[in-house]
Amino acid sequence: MSAPHAEQVTSALPHEPEKATLEGRNKILAFWLFLGGESVLFGTLFATFLALREQAADGPTANELFQLPTVAAATFILLVSSLTSVFAIQAMHKGNRKALSLWLGITVLLGLGFLGLEIYEFYEYVNHEKFGMTTSAFSSAFYTLVGFHGAHVLFGVVWISLLIAQLAKKGLTVVTAPKVYVSAMYWHFIDVVWVFIFTVVYLLGKVG
Amino acid sequence: MAHAHSVKRHTGLMDWLTTVDHKKIGILYLIAGALFFGIGGIEALMIRWQLIKPMNDFVSAQTFNELITMHGTTMIFLGVMPIIFALMNAVIPLQIGARDVAFPFLNSLGFWTFLFGGLLLNISWIMGGAPDAGWTAYVPLSSTMYSESHGVDFYTVGLQIAGLGTLIGGINFLATIITMRAPGMSFMRMPMFTWTAFITSAIILFAFPAVTVGLVLLSFDRILGANFFEVGNGGNPVLWQHIFWIFGHPEVYILILPAFGVISEVIPTFARKRLFGYSSMVFATILIAFLGFMVWAHHMFTTGMGPVANALFSISTMLIAVPTGIKIFNWLFTLWGGQIRFTAANLYASGFIPTFVMGGVTGVMLASAPADYQFHDTYFVVAHFHYVIVGGLVLGLFSGLHYWWPKMFGRVLDEKLGKVGFWFFIIGFHMTFFVQHFLGLLGMQRRIFTYRGDQGFDTMNLISTIGALLMAVGVLVFLLNVIITSTKPANAPNDPWEDGRTLEWSIPSPPPEYNFKQIPLVRGLDAYWKEKMAGHTEMTPAEPVGPIHMPSASILPFVMSVGIFVAGLGFMYHQYVVLGIGLVVTFGCMVIRSLYDDHGWHIDPEETTEKKGVKA
Amino acid sequence: MSQHNTNQGSAVRHRHRTEGPQKHIIAFIFSIVLTLIAFATVAAGGVNTSFTIILLVVMAILQVLVQLGYWMHMKDKGHLIPILFLAFGFFVAGATVLTALYLVWW
Repeated sequence: MSAPHAEQVTSALPHEPEKATLEGRNKILAFWLFLGGESVLFGTLFATFLALREQAADGPTANELFQLPTVAAATFILLVSSLTSVFAIQAMHKGNRKALSLWLGITVLLGLGFLGLEIYEFYEYVNHEKFGMTTSAFSSAFYTLVGFHGAHVLFGVVWISLLIAQLAKKGLTVVTAPKVYVSAMYWHFIDVVWVFIFTVVYLLGKVG
Repeated sequence: MAHAHSVKRHTGLMDWLTTVDHKKIGILYLIAGALFFGIGGIEALMIRWQLIKPMNDFVSAQTFNELITMHGTTMIFLGVMPIIFALMNAVIPLQIGARDVAFPFLNSLGFWTFLFGGLLLNISWIMGGAPDAGWTAYVPLSSTMYSESHGVDFYTVGLQIAGLGTLIGGINFLATIITMRAPGMSFMRMPMFTWTAFITSAIILFAFPAVTVGLVLLSFDRILGANFFEVGNGGNPVLWQHIFWIFGHPEVYILILPAFGVISEVIPTFARKRLFGYSSMVFATILIAFLGFMVWAHHMFTTGMGPVANALFSISTMLIAVPTGIKIFNWLFTLWGGQIRFTAANLYASGFIPTFVMGGVTGVMLASAPADYQFHDTYFVVAHFHYVIVGGLVLGLFSGLHYWWPKMFGRVLDEKLGKVGFWFFIIGFHMTFFVQHFLGLLGMQRRIFTYRGDQGFDTMNLISTIGALLMAVGVLVFLLNVIITSTKPANAPNDPWEDGRTLEWSIPSPPPEYNFKQIPLVRGLDAYWKEKMAGHTEMTPAEPVGPIHMPSASILPFVMSVGIFVAGLGFMYHQYVVLGIGLVVTFGCMVIRSLYDDHGWHIDPEETTEKKGVKA
Repeated sequence: MSQHNTNQGSAVRHRHRTEGPQKHIIAFIFSIVLTLIAFATVAAGGVNTSFTIILLVVMAILQVLVQLGYWMHMKDKGHLIPILFLAFGFFVAGATVLTALYLVWW
């Protein structure tokens, strides 16, 4: 693969611009550490959910509530967005800023699609299923866990959009590259959390 | 100053609000810690004054509940944590031979966020009542049904904000220690204090998110009407206890490990011997941290977890005595045969060892589940954890403050006053808490606001209160010492103890802004001592003299923290517009930080050389 | 693979071998398959409940390993510290989750 692109790597930018400076390497390392902490954060939320998921009180249960097609669609969207962010990083490693911005843009759009589905889902639950934050212990745990993840997606969407703007203004440099790399790590982590959410919340909810 | 980036240099208050220099942030942490330590101490004295005699009416039962809650919360989260961070900020970059921390901006953000969280918690006193459900805030006591004021909301929101600051600080120190060490300083050549700071930061990283979630759940229950702990709608109160202690027990090790680190620095210096069993110390530190995550349920033996869980947590708890014992013996063997000098710092360190052992022994007693059914929620427990936290951590902190004061401020604290303060403090400490073991065994419950005259608690409570006053005198003597010392000229030499072993003693006191003119080359454990033994007076530099890159000062961390503070208040009082404004300010600052690159500025080689000439 | 390319850019390029999109597409397809198995098993219904639960959890863990390893580059060199910290984060998270399960079960 490398040979045909050899000529494109003409600028002074090294192959892995995100790791070219100490600041960049620090940033990536610290972000890994942060993700370790995030694992505990989500772990505790999952634990809460697992402890309370049978406690539907007078409200609807998981089995009555969840619609697999919506969840499957959301899952597919998020998986694809993870792949597009991988492509973004590959484009960055080839020094191709245009492709990088394009892939990041697609990632943002997919993230927005996911958020749209989630908002639609919450809206339906609250308005048509009488399933709000205060309905039962199960509902509180559901909204908090899935909502925390949703908030992370929202944060990621805003963050990556800002990065696209910065790339347009400042170009791909050893300063912007670590930011892009770290945002991609974040995005993958969100995807990893979602894997557990669709398994533990939705699929196990259907199984019983 | 010939360099391109002209720097805006702030002075006065603005300098302190915008600083990203780890040494100044360390001093800020120290001031904030002293403030909260003072508040927590006054609360402690009020508690003891209420208990000085039976049926006392110094404060009401409700006020007493608020006092014990705020005393515990303030001391643990806002009193000792920042003093630990003060020492870490002042010392860690110097010990590893770095010019700065990995993230100066984040370092500043961590401090301000912590401070505003702490302030939010404490303004509860003047905003309709402080939290009153104990520092553990067990539900249902902390639910809106039993705690109607906004007190517990201040607790949940304030601690979330302060916790965020602590977490940011922890990540910064992890990254700093992993990536910023000077050439030659491998992990196994790091000073013990750096090691314990590293492990403590790791525990912060893994423990604080858990309590953040717990506090979010509790605040959702109280503010949004969620049902996590509301039994009527399927909630589970025991879940709170688990989440709280999954954080809470590691928190104890977050507190005590840095004290272990301080002791491991002070004792070798004043015994003129290398630390006995360095590798086993490192191993024991890691093991304590690891085990610390697997023992939390020993706080919950009486909740009815069943014999299997109780037995497992009993055993894992007792296991911690092994690495801790290793450390105790290592300190003793370091002292053994050393040329010991009992400076104030070393007095505190030597006082630490037997006192901490006593706290450890009662810890093993409490770890035994059947016995714990008797000890639970009595003054025996109160005595135990004060022996560990005051007799362990606070003595360690005082030791560290006396030891590193010259490095932080360029002035050696008065030795005589230091020793006087020590004797007041340690005698007062043992008077206060030793008798509480027996009060507990006699059946005096923790957290009660008074007792009857015929219960046989009178004399020991009186002794305990007098002891508390003596401790207060000890602290005041220390403050007096600080004030007197600050009027003296700042003339401390590089190595005021003359037997300094680690890198911080190889540079001026206080160090220049850039710490090291040239990054030193580390050739072994106790790097500076090694050079001294080789007949050198200075470290061998690892780089030629060159321009030094410095980060720019920034007001953004302060503004961001104000934003979070405002948002927290808005959330508590259901003022969602205020919440929105606060969040916009905070996230807006994040955006600004991201959009405008900080290129920093440079210090010219001439400038550093010149300064050194003046100093010498 | 690789030192044949010794012109002036070789230092820059010799790690390109880890960069092929095919590898990531394969990882993606693998993820999709794992997801499909999980959804299909639940949608089909009628399968033994405890078997389904175990299957779902195994599928999730496999998928997470794929994502961490390939997409977050944890398989690459120089990731010891990230692996240690993330692993311990997962360990604490796991302990918390087990506690919750024990709480319900007891």
